[in-house]
Amino acid sequence: MLRHLLKLTWKRKSRNLMLSLEILIAFAIVFGIAAFGLRYWQLYREPIGFDGRDTWAVRMKMGEIQDKEIPAEIYDTLRRSLLELPEVREVGFAAYSPYTMSTWTTTFKSSQTGADVPTHIFESGDSTASALGIQLVGGRWFGHEDDGQAAQPAVLNKRMAASLFPGRSPLGQQFTSTDKDSLRTFRVVGLVEDFRNQGPLMAPAPFVLTRFEPHTGKSRARVILVKVAPGTPRGFEVALNRRLKLVRNDWSYEIAPLQAMRTSLLKEHLIPLIVVSVIAAFMVAMVAFGLFGVLWQNTTRRIPEIGLRRAIGASAADIYRQIVAEQLLLSSTAMIVGLILLVQLPLTGAMGEALNWGVFIGAAALSMGAIYLLSLLCSLYPGWRASRLSPTEALHYE
Amino acid sequence: MLRNYLLTAWKVFMRRKLFTAINLVCIVLTLVVLMVVTALLETAFWPSGVEGKSERFLQVYSMRSESADHRTVRTELLGFKTIDKYLKPMQGVERVSAFTTPASVSVYQGDRVSELQMRRVDADYWRILDFRLLAGRLPDADDDSVSRFVAVINATTARKLFGDAAAVGQKISISGQMFEVIGVVEDVIHMNAYADVWAPLYTFPSGTWRDELTGSFAAMLLAKQPSDLPRIQREVERVAKTFVTEDPHEYATTTFWADSKLDLVARELLGNKERADSGGTTLLAWIIIAMLLFMLLPALNLVNLNTGRILERSSEIGVRKAFGATSRQLAGQLVVENVLLCLAGGLIGLACTRVVLWWLETAQLIPYLKVGLNPSVFACGMLLAFVFGLLSGLIPAWKMSRLDPVHALKGAA
Repeated sequence: MLRHLLKLTWKRKSRNLMLSLEILIAFAIVFGIAAFGLRYWQLYREPIGFDGRDTWAVRMKMGEIQDKEIPAEIYDTLRRSLLELPEVREVGFAAYSPYTMSTWTTTFKSSQTGADVPTHIFESGDSTASALGIQLVGGRWFGHEDDGQAAQPAVLNKRMAASLFPGRSPLGQQFTSTDKDSLRTFRVVGLVEDFRNQGPLMAPAPFVLTRFEPHTGKSRARVILVKVAPGTPRGFEVALNRRLKLVRNDWSYEIAPLQAMRTSLLKEHLIPLIVVSVIAAFMVAMVAFGLFGVLWQNTTRRIPEIGLRRAIGASAADIYRQIVAEQLLLSSTAMIVGLILLVQLPLTGAMGEALNWGVFIGAAALSMGAIYLLSLLCSLYPGWRASRLSPTEALHYE
Repeated sequence: MLRNYLLTAWKVFMRRKLFTAINLVCIVLTLVVLMVVTALLETAFWPSGVEGKSERFLQVYSMRSESADHRTVRTELLGFKTIDKYLKPMQGVERVSAFTTPASVSVYQGDRVSELQMRRVDADYWRILDFRLLAGRLPDADDDSVSRFVAVINATTARKLFGDAAAVGQKISISGQMFEVIGVVEDVIHMNAYADVWAPLYTFPSGTWRDELTGSFAAMLLAKQPSDLPRIQREVERVAKTFVTEDPHEYATTTFWADSKLDLVARELLGNKERADSGGTTLLAWIIIAMLLFMLLPALNLVNLNTGRILERSSEIGVRKAFGATSRQLAGQLVVENVLLCLAGGLIGLACTRVVLWWLETAQLIPYLKVGLNPSVFACGMLLAFVFGLLSGLIPAWKMSRLDPVHALKGAA
């Protein structure tokens, strides 16, 4: 049966070539979108390393002033002043806020392998871990015991720990910065599962969390992370702003709950996918129309052949099965070719981690399912129409 | 001859209404996507309305300073002093406007907080851009002379802040400064015009902005006529060479470019920050290639549909061949038929595009979006339809012209 079908398909190869090319392209498009969506789903389920519920971010807009012009005492004043508000549970400082598109990257040198490792970096204060709800899996967060130490404390995520100190326990190990002029040494004091500042759709990357200490360091944090009591209404923003203005009236403050920032950042990430999906849905609909039309024409043209089959004893169900099976065979051929081309992507690692085997197999299964469904739906009516022909009529068809 | 073609085409289309409809739906879907993209690009790069003078002005958005050994590079927005000292004295430029990029500010009204985008702009800004005033007035020389704290807001912001009450004359507190609303303008999305609130430059909280070489400013240079633009671009390039940073030891050379909107985007996307050529034409070429690639799948689809159709018409083709029609004539006829169908699809697509754009505008996915379907978008759409028709008509036409008249006459290809 299969051999017979293959022969029939091969006989009409030039027409089928164009049709398979069309199915191939449609398959590639559906595959791309399925892979994109599955990757996002995979990332979404991985830990982001912090909680952020009931935490608000305050960006201090200080205008055009240099770091050295910001007094170190201001941070203590801000913290004390904010903690006086009954809604505020904890106050921490950070170089930038999570759930923004901000990135800060640098390169560190591993003392073990001597290799330079590029990484993301997040500088935050002693109380940030509790303000942001960062969960450590080993060691401890920064604290006063780090004051006056020669090596600055650092917390790594597991990915960074694995590339700096492969095969060793990272806690207590040291590594250095790669700046030419001022060589800084860091000591690993803690370990987090992961840290992804841009939220659940950010691709995991090496991350180093360093300590912000205004009295000894030169850098200055420009974001306050405020943990408030659960259920604090958005209107608290006004009271918060008023209190901040009491501390420094010449700065302005941009206040937003992290949950709101999370929602808008997720939307920002998803909108391109949604736009592309809508366009692709239109294209697939178009392919469906085209396939339907072509199959209809094909069955019309093959009426004499069908009549002959009926006349020598094939049942209506046989004809029906033949039309549908031929279409599925054609789709399978196109998709196998497509898969052979697409499998090169994870094999060569051209897309890196974004297209891992899990995503590839999932996307291949989803897109194959979609194309099979499409082929089946498009061939149902033309197949039914062909099977209904009576053999006498079909034989006489001109 | 063409009349015959048209008549045949009409007959063929009407004979198989379902297939004509399927064909049309495919064409319309493709063209709607392409035309929406064209309309959006047109609004972004060659807008009409508020920035309607775009073909007469250039903008300078960033400047790049580099150390002598190329190790340290700094890219920043301009400071007011840079515009005042280097760009304003340039010869042969009608106006130079200094304005800030939008910064988000909070407006407090009792317990309500509104996050708005605010620009600070000079007087020339209002003369280069043609804002449509809905109520009140724009800042004038009188405001400048006494440094009055005035603000212009757009229609959406007026509704958001004051509801149905008249906005003009109201006082608002923007980041702790009190402003009087003197005018309401319509909403705009364009590159230089987009903002919710506009205030004069002198309302900056501190006076240091006058002496900064880098800051938060951009500049627009209005030429007397469009043909002056290349000269102005060269002039700006020359002026940039004379630029001295506040720290000439650290940053030895500085470049900035006067760009059209397309150049500006191309420079950002393609990273041509240190060359005079922004790569605008390359970007356009890429867009066109991407559009053609996008047409590939629908075109294949149409090829398949059309191939089926001609085989149905094989007896007609056989007769024509037997009476001496050449292959080329037959192929021409089918291409004409296909192009006609595509042009019809283009017209329907245009109407659908209008609906999609209207939906995009009301859905506010992009704030203040307003896209017009002007004659150039229409022409682009028709051109796209024509290209699409050719693309999808050629292969079936070639196949049809190869039919053997003997077999074709019998109706079995």
